[in-house]
Amino acid sequence: MLSLFILIPLLLLFILNLPVKFIRQGAFGLVGLLLSVQILAALLHSLFPWSAFPEILGSFFIFSLAVDNLTLVMLLTIGTVALVSLIVAASTIGQERLRFYFVNLLLICVIGMNAIVLVRDIFSLYVFIEIVSVSSFILIALERNKSAIEGTFKYLMLSAMATVFILSGIACFLLAAGDLSFVSIHSAFYDPAASFILKVAASLFLCGLFIKAGVAPFHGWVMDAYLASPASVSVLLAGVATKISGVYVLLRLFGSVFIVNAPLQNIILFAGAFSIVLGALAALTQDDLKRMLAYSSISQIGYIILALGCATPLAFAGAVFHFFNHAIFKSLLFVNAAALEKRFGSTDMNKLAGQGYKMPVTGITSLMGVLSTAGIPPLSGFWSKLIIILALFSSGRFVYAGIALLASVLTLAYFLVFQRRIFFCKSELQEPALENPGKISRALGFSEISLAIITVVTGAVFVFMPGNWIMPLKGIFW
Amino acid sequence: MQTILISFILLPFIAGGVAFLLPKGAQILRAALVLLAAIADFLIAVFLFNQEAIITLPWAGCGMDFSLRLNHFSAFIILAAAFFSLLIVIYSLKFFKEQTKANQFYMYLLVSLSLVNGAVLANNLILLLFFWEGLLITLFGMIAMGGKSAFKTATKAFIIIGVSDLCLMAGIALTGFLAGTLVISEINLPLGSLSSLAFMLLVIGAVSKAGSMPFHSWIPDAATDAPLPFMAILPASLEKLLGIYFLARICLEMFKLNPDSWLSILLMIIGALTIFLAVMMALVQKNYKKLLSYHAISQVGYMILGIGTALPIGIAGGLFHMLNHALYKSCLFLTAGAVEKQTGTTDLEKLGGLSKKMPLTFMAFTVAALSISGVPPFNGFFSKEMVYHAARERGEWFYIIAVAGAFLTAASFLKLGHAVFLGKSRPEHKEVKEAPLTMLVPMGILALVCIGFGIFNYLPLNNFIYPILGAGFNVKSFAGVSGDWTLIAITCAVLSVALIHHFIWVKRSGSALTAADHIHHAPVLAVFYNWAGKKYFDPYDLGLKLINGITFFFWRIDRGIDWVYSFFIAGGAGVCSKVIRRMHAGYYVIYASWALLGAVIVMYLVFK
Repeated sequence: MLSLFILIPLLLLFILNLPVKFIRQGAFGLVGLLLSVQILAALLHSLFPWSAFPEILGSFFIFSLAVDNLTLVMLLTIGTVALVSLIVAASTIGQERLRFYFVNLLLICVIGMNAIVLVRDIFSLYVFIEIVSVSSFILIALERNKSAIEGTFKYLMLSAMATVFILSGIACFLLAAGDLSFVSIHSAFYDPAASFILKVAASLFLCGLFIKAGVAPFHGWVMDAYLASPASVSVLLAGVATKISGVYVLLRLFGSVFIVNAPLQNIILFAGAFSIVLGALAALTQDDLKRMLAYSSISQIGYIILALGCATPLAFAGAVFHFFNHAIFKSLLFVNAAALEKRFGSTDMNKLAGQGYKMPVTGITSLMGVLSTAGIPPLSGFWSKLIIILALFSSGRFVYAGIALLASVLTLAYFLVFQRRIFFCKSELQEPALENPGKISRALGFSEISLAIITVVTGAVFVFMPGNWIMPLKGIFW
Repeated sequence: MQTILISFILLPFIAGGVAFLLPKGAQILRAALVLLAAIADFLIAVFLFNQEAIITLPWAGCGMDFSLRLNHFSAFIILAAAFFSLLIVIYSLKFFKEQTKANQFYMYLLVSLSLVNGAVLANNLILLLFFWEGLLITLFGMIAMGGKSAFKTATKAFIIIGVSDLCLMAGIALTGFLAGTLVISEINLPLGSLSSLAFMLLVIGAVSKAGSMPFHSWIPDAATDAPLPFMAILPASLEKLLGIYFLARICLEMFKLNPDSWLSILLMIIGALTIFLAVMMALVQKNYKKLLSYHAISQVGYMILGIGTALPIGIAGGLFHMLNHALYKSCLFLTAGAVEKQTGTTDLEKLGGLSKKMPLTFMAFTVAALSISGVPPFNGFFSKEMVYHAARERGEWFYIIAVAGAFLTAASFLKLGHAVFLGKSRPEHKEVKEAPLTMLVPMGILALVCIGFGIFNYLPLNNFIYPILGAGFNVKSFAGVSGDWTLIAITCAVLSVALIHHFIWVKRSGSALTAADHIHHAPVLAVFYNWAGKKYFDPYDLGLKLINGITFFFWRIDRGIDWVYSFFIAGGAGVCSKVIRRMHAGYYVIYASWALLGAVIVMYLVFK
């Protein structure tokens, strides 16, 4: 039954590629419908009898699929962000051919991500990570210009390194456990004889996934990939693609499968704090909006990694909550960047300075995203950061808690500079010559407003969240 | 009978408010109303004199009742206040040229009278504070009427009196705490360690209201900035009456000040310093009103010295001097007002020979000047003799300073009278005439009372002063010419020396105005005078400088903190950011090597 999350998109992929004209024309609508169904299914999960039907794929392959709250949150996030990306693409990508490519690749990416969050064995995990990565490569290079190729190339090179690390890790696990399902790997950790090889495997996995997640100092590809890709692809990459294939896998493996020893834990903590500070500092003096958002993304992932290193159930719950919030507000900010790019033809903040007042909706929604990222109450980002910092405090890691707190100030600093330069002042200069003049479409405005509303409402109804969404997460981890 | 006490507060207050609200055209009606209110207040005060009454109404709760008490002492002060107010009202009828200013002045005057009456009658410390602080508002308003520069002076007065009133407030809180009650007539505290502090705080409030040093520095400024009737009504009479009245009640009723106490010595030192320093400043003034205002400070010193001796004769002398001072100092200010009104200036260098043009004003001035100098048989002589007597009993030095003050007072008034009324007449004052009748009548009445209280000094002493001290005090009678003949001889000798000194130096320096300049330019004194002229001794200016210094200090600290934030932290973050930015050069080889290096470090740390 759970395999429907993979099979239905796969089926849709076949249907889309049938040589029928009206199906091609309605591709965006069909995929949008599919993603909406996915969001609904994740939200109304209790109505679905997941285990009442036999797994179709399970009888053919050795995939073992399972659903828990972590998976549900991830499915919801994937559906939401992919839908937003689709809407952005519908109003920013012009050529019919590229539009069709985009829909197909997005669908493949969604299949990969859905599978990543559902599978419960480490080799299938690797396969689907590669599916997401490969579709991402092509998506980044969609427009085939020089910078796009460059961004893709960097991502490709570092992903290759990640693949080496992960495959070596898998080999080690196979050696130690004899089986690659999560359950047997977990039980292998209790065997003292295999401890050395398991340590090697775990640290190899850590390095590989750090590259995929873009944690400093493994983050080299992130900025160019986000910058070079088309607006809609930036949303997808920053919002979910790299997060699922990197951060989610880290959370799943290091949270509930591997047993992490103290040195590894310290490394994770340090890498998290380092990412936070480095990303925030680097974002301070960026000229390009998308590059700044990329650094901000590195900084925010740092919080999730820090919570992972803290390794208490509360910290994991906070990490997952921050994952969801980050996907929403970072997508929102990238959508804003897309709107600015569409209106003014550039994401260079020097050119955009003082022009944003012409776009009040973008300005206000951007402010919501900014404040939420910086952790201003009562927006959603505040609560998730609060949980993470509380968890750090209660486990006695005061220095890291302090860093996490102070980095919020840096976050606010660079975002307020951005907000003020673009939206809160009027430039005397004439509007720069537009490459593709045109108003932003209603769909773009709709997605901006929807994401802003999600951010605000998530923060506002936070009191109802712990019981239904966050605290059940604690049970997944050890 | 009891409820009539409230009329002392309500009658002037309502009359003042109505007078202010009357339409512009109704000048005669307004004047009549104000005059009637002042006369009515005076008549009620006369009618109630020598009667006792208490009225207590519920007010703020917690022991803070609206409690008024009329006894002999308060009835005397109320009578005096009503008398002076009536005279000033008559005087002001013609003084103000602009009608709007007259409106304001009448309102402030009557409201001040109402507040003074309230403060004098109050039998509850909180009620007293209520009326006492209210006077601060009318004081500010009256000074600020003077114009642009007056506003600054008004602020200065407001701050100085405000600070001392704060001390009074603290003193009242402490006294109420120590005594367990706020009813003044029930308070009877011995002077212990904590109650000494309460005593001192209350005394600061009282003497600063009376205008003693070091709370005096606004008075000379106000003399030139504020309208003149203000000087005659508040600093010269009402505030002295109120301040010294409260000081006497503190010393006599609430605390029992005895001559052995160090607080008595402290009060005497304050009094002596005030006498001497203020009169030294008065001596060198070149402005009619400023000179008078320094004397208004100096004479307070005699009252504080007299009460501070804690001897019955000293207290009686101090209180008598309070009454006499109000009489002659009001009279002097009124003559200054008449001269200003008729000639347009009070600058001594532009005045001279007015005795022929304004003979009646000159006569009033002469009487008042003789009184303040302590020439027998004018009233100032008798009260000063009583203070001298008590001071000499307590210590020779206090007596010497007091007599030196008398010498300098006489010298400065010889100079003033000589410069203004005698000497050559100025050509620009050819057309000057005598002041109008409404201004002459109050001056004349005050001058006559000065003479009357001098020759028939037993009248005020027996009727007003001695009953205050009660049966417990054994007072030597100074009624009539009697007492210590040595003191009287010394006084007469000192006054003669002052007269001779004046004429010698007039001859030597060529004019009356410069007769005291040799003191002004004496070797060491010149430096101090110079400093005083630069306001180095003004506690207000010193306080302002101190606060400026503190502010500057904190401002520097603030700049430092600001520097840390805006340059150190923000600049540091900027530098870090630029370094990081430069490291991200865009070469994938660099990025890949970072990743490899990271992996190596991870491996090393795990297997260390």
